[in-house]
Amino acid sequence: MSDPYSVLGLKPDASDEEVKKAYKTLAKRYHPDVAGNSPEAARKMQEINAAYDQIINHKESFSSQSSYGYGYGGYRAQGEEEPNELRAAVAYINARRFVEALNALQGIPESRRSGRWYYLASYAEAHIGDSTGALRDINIAIEKEPGNISYLAFRDRLTGRRTAYEDYSRSFGGFGTGFFPCCFPFFPCCCII
Amino acid sequence: MFGYVMANASTLSKEEKEIYKAHYCGLCKILREQYGQKAIMVLSYDMVFLEMVLADIADADEEKGKERCLPHPVKEHEYIITKYTRYASDMQMLLGYYSLLDKVRDEGKGKSEEKKMRVLLPELEKKYPRISTTLKNGLKTIEDNEEKNIKDPEEMALLFGKILGEVFVYDDTSFFRDDLRSLGCGLGRFIYLLDAWCDRKKDRKEGAYNPLSDDITEDEIKEMLLDAAAAASAAFERLPLDQHVFILRNILYSGIWSKFREDKK
Repeated sequence: MSDPYSVLGLKPDASDEEVKKAYKTLAKRYHPDVAGNSPEAARKMQEINAAYDQIINHKESFSSQSSYGYGYGGYRAQGEEEPNELRAAVAYINARRFVEALNALQGIPESRRSGRWYYLASYAEAHIGDSTGALRDINIAIEKEPGNISYLAFRDRLTGRRTAYEDYSRSFGGFGTGFFPCCFPFFPCCCII
Repeated sequence: MFGYVMANASTLSKEEKEIYKAHYCGLCKILREQYGQKAIMVLSYDMVFLEMVLADIADADEEKGKERCLPHPVKEHEYIITKYTRYASDMQMLLGYYSLLDKVRDEGKGKSEEKKMRVLLPELEKKYPRISTTLKNGLKTIEDNEEKNIKDPEEMALLFGKILGEVFVYDDTSFFRDDLRSLGCGLGRFIYLLDAWCDRKKDRKEGAYNPLSDDITEDEIKEMLLDAAAAASAAFERLPLDQHVFILRNILYSGIWSKFREDKK
């Protein structure tokens, strides 16, 4: 793929904020409501989405096509045929269908669950918002394959967002600041703001 | 719902407060127009957050105006309505109905309101089949687990999180549906846990179900809340938000803790 920043009409040192603004401007231009159902606009939209994914999700989350499509998860025992369910799960994850991915993974009995199984489960769980399950499963994955760099890096990302959240919260005065009073304590009233 | 997803007004600027309030008043207005004056009883800040997120992502057109309303008949105030206000108001009714139903079951209160709201359900279910199915099934599982007295707060919170995750997905074909679902799920978990924490003493006194164990410490619940909030904010930061991002961050990184802080006093 071409440079994601140039797809969005930006310089490579553009900030996330600039990327988001540029994305929105272009997404509006090529939206079917504006551009009609032309294949050219649809292709352009795909490009913009992919560029956004590559820049923002690279920094903020775990999905990226490059580390994903091939050699997923890094290490895999040679010559070992992957169960269909696992392959289906990878396909679902690549298509960003995380609920379906988890369903496919459930099809593999516990006795046959590899480190990779737990990694995939953790990845999908993280993307549907189940961070507790994600952390539990990535820890099992690491236990099963202690030397796997991808698993360790993924756990760092999961725990890293906790730290990021707490740091950012502090800039709002942390969790310790006082509460504001309301005229009706039991009624959801706009007076509290 | 529960109204935990609100801003921390002490760190908002005057302009930001006005914008936030106008979105709240917009939701209140639409809710009353669609469902009658009494509908404001289900109004909460949670859905204002959702409306502002969806409107920001889409750079939605805003309809601005001023009015006097029944709750505030004297002072004229501004409102902002977007395409997503109506959606938020529908979601508010759907969630509001089930939380009322829960109250009727637990406390035997609100029977007549429940009956009045019930007639609205078929239309909402027809309009939002994906969401109402998730909602109904999810709440059924929660209810079953309550009956079995299952004391697994994380598991229970995730059930509620999945419901709110679905509510946050306005359009299931949107490029941002996964991030919205994660955001909703994280917030749902947070709301459920905080609600359980705030109700723990009352529930114990009344012998009512509460997912938290009796000897849970403040540090333990804070860990769980932080985990849920961090999951929500990781998804939030991936969304292309720019118009209201300061208000929304204020809610997500500070405001949602308001009732936790209040409980500590």
